[in-house]
Amino acid sequence: MTGTAQGEVSIRSEGDIVAARRSVREAVMELGFGLTDVTRVVTAASELARNVHKYGGGGVMRWRRLESGGRRGIELEFIDQGPGIADVELALQQGYSSGKGLGLGLPAARRLMDELEIRTAPGAGTTVTSRKWCPP
Amino acid sequence: MSDRNSISIIIVRKTLMVTVPSDPDDATVSALQDEVLAAMQRVDAKGVVLDIGSVETLDSFFARTVAETASMVALMGGRTVVVGMRPSVAVTATQIGITLGGIETALSVERALDLLDRPVTGRSRR
Amino acid sequence: MGTQFEPRSGGLPGAAASQTSPETQELVRLLIENIKDYAIITLDPRGHVLSWNAAAERLKGWKADEIVGQHFSRFYPPEDLQNGKTEMELKVASQEGRFEDEGWRVRKDGSRFWANVIITALRDSEGRLRGFGKVTRDLTARRESEEKIRRQAQEILEMAAVPVVQVWSGILLVPLIGTLNSQRTQQLMDVLLNKVMETASPVALLDITGVPAIDTQTAQHLIETIAAVRLLGSEVVLTGVRPSIAQTLVHLGIDLSNVSTRSSLSAGLRTAFELLELCVAPRATAGG
Repeated sequence: MTGTAQGEVSIRSEGDIVAARRSVREAVMELGFGLTDVTRVVTAASELARNVHKYGGGGVMRWRRLESGGRRGIELEFIDQGPGIADVELALQQGYSSGKGLGLGLPAARRLMDELEIRTAPGAGTTVTSRKWCPP
Repeated sequence: MSDRNSISIIIVRKTLMVTVPSDPDDATVSALQDEVLAAMQRVDAKGVVLDIGSVETLDSFFARTVAETASMVALMGGRTVVVGMRPSVAVTATQIGITLGGIETALSVERALDLLDRPVTGRSRR
Repeated sequence: MGTQFEPRSGGLPGAAASQTSPETQELVRLLIENIKDYAIITLDPRGHVLSWNAAAERLKGWKADEIVGQHFSRFYPPEDLQNGKTEMELKVASQEGRFEDEGWRVRKDGSRFWANVIITALRDSEGRLRGFGKVTRDLTARRESEEKIRRQAQEILEMAAVPVVQVWSGILLVPLIGTLNSQRTQQLMDVLLNKVMETASPVALLDITGVPAIDTQTAQHLIETIAAVRLLGSEVVLTGVRPSIAQTLVHLGIDLSNVSTRSSLSAGLRTAFELLELCVAPRATAGG
């Protein structure tokens, strides 16, 4: 299978959220994910990219192809230097927020992807890494 | 091919027919709300048919805007029917708990118009 | 046994003297140079590239002067390098005489291709390891068509496992048999939603007569499926809710109050007709 193995999209303006979606769509389609899984990953990317823009003060999305034990996958990484998340457990809880806070983005991404890791601290920015594997 | 960021609104049988492009950016989605409400006032439409048949990604921002718009349209005296959601989008939406706030849905624009001609029956059928 | 070669006039595989004439040697050199489908290169005993052919440039992207002297681990993806794959390959080739493998390789531009690779240990008449020959074939196209066939077979299997039947114009029936785990729910949702869209059926009967027991997870899966069908614009009637299922649902505290449910499939069918505003009436008798 040909195609690129990794990529990066800077998220500085609102329009970059779409750019992130399109990059991810291309990448997962190349990997041969089924249409529903493509939709899942792109939706997760949209949520996380919006978080970077809206709450992180801008940042970057990096993606790369994964290969392990014959299975293909994709890894998405969203990095910002924003205020960080004070209560990660709270942010991950299901349900719409009242308008403040992080909304549905993180819980949605967690449900749509296979793996999700968050590295954050108040004042120290946030890195959200998530992975999805192609079913065997 | 329609512009990626243009929302088309036409008026048919006193109803707003809104067609959403395949991958609208956030600004376009927000503009949808403004334009629909402005048109509701201009035309005094009885409702809105929102065609999302081209939409490939429906995230929480889009869903929230649509749900809010429907509530606002209701306050202005109209009903909203969502048409054409793609199966892959529906599966993803239910997985993350997006429900569009109980908005009415229909399989086609034609059925949506028929639906708007009848009184509201509500979702609970026993 | 490795490939033995005599370091006579230029050193060529095979023992017959007639094969070592300058003309034949030239033809062999031209073969290696011009063959299009096989990247044929040689490595020194530690794995650095010694020679390169046109097919190698075509397949891997590097020109000869860019790659000669570099280590052949350049052609491998990062995950293989972490596992020490290249050292292992040379070791096996050196011990067994040859090593064969299929796997991902990396081009100069970073893109990947699926390759069949054979590494052969090249020893002189004293058995000293002089280097390795490496023949690489691009199997990406074959792998893609294999993947495609596998996916199609999978899809056919999945469709068979979740039958969706059109019992009437506008009414789909899904007779669920057996338990409903996460994976099966995914299949169910994909098949049912696509069928709803294709047939534009306003009603789907989800019959659980054949589902032996219901737990919270199964109920959750059913609720998700019903929600998704509704997003498309159709309605679901859950049928086959027999007494034991009804008891379990209430005891588990599962709320299905906004879903149409019926105890039997025939009652569900009657509801479906009502939803479509159809009525079934006896044919008017003739005569009078």
